[in-house]
Amino acid sequence: MEILQVVGIGLIGAVLAVYVKERNKEIAVLVSMATGLIIFLFAVSKISAVLQVLQDLASLANVNMFYLTTILKIIGIAYVAEFGAQVCRDAGEGSIASKIEFSAKILVIVLALPIIVAILESILRLIP
Amino acid sequence: MSIELIFQIAGIGILTSIFHTMLKQAGKEDIAFIATLAGVCICLLMVVQLIGELLIKVKSVFFLS
Repeated sequence: MEILQVVGIGLIGAVLAVYVKERNKEIAVLVSMATGLIIFLFAVSKISAVLQVLQDLASLANVNMFYLTTILKIIGIAYVAEFGAQVCRDAGEGSIASKIEFSAKILVIVLALPIIVAILESILRLIP
Repeated sequence: MSIELIFQIAGIGILTSIFHTMLKQAGKEDIAFIATLAGVCICLLMVVQLIGELLIKVKSVFFLS
C-alpha cells in the first residue's frame, strides 16, 4: 500500500523540519519543500495512469480532444499553483502565496475562455 | 519515493548549525555566517533539481506546454 509510504515520509519530513527549524529556518523550509516535492512526484506518476484511461474513453466517445486537454491543463495549473502557494504559506510568506493563487485563477480563466465562447455560440444557435 | 534527500538536507542543516555555533565560540563571526550560507546553498541546489524534475513531469502529464 503506497499510502503507508506517503504518510511515513510525510511524518519523517515534518519531524525533521521542526527539528531543524529552531536552529536555522531556511533549511527547515527546504526540508518541508523537499518532502512535499517527493510526495507530489509520487502522486503525479499515479495521476498520469488515470489520465491515460480518460483519454482512451474520450477518444472512444469521440469527444473533441481540445476540451479534454484544456480541462487537464486547468487541473495541472490548479495542482502546481496550490502546491506553490502552500509552500510559500509554510515559509510564512502569505502575500506571495495569495499572488500565486491570484495568477493561477487568471490563467484558468484565460484557458476557459474558448470553451465559454463555444458554449454561448451553441446556445445562440439553439434559439431560433 | 527516494527518502534519502530529506535526510541529507536535514543532516546538512544540523551540521551547518553546529559549525555556526562552533565558529561563533571560536570568535569568527563572519566565517560562521559564510558556513551557514554554504550549507543553505547546497540544500537549495538539491531542492531546485527536485523542483525541476517535478515541473518537467507535471508539464508532460498535464500537456502544459
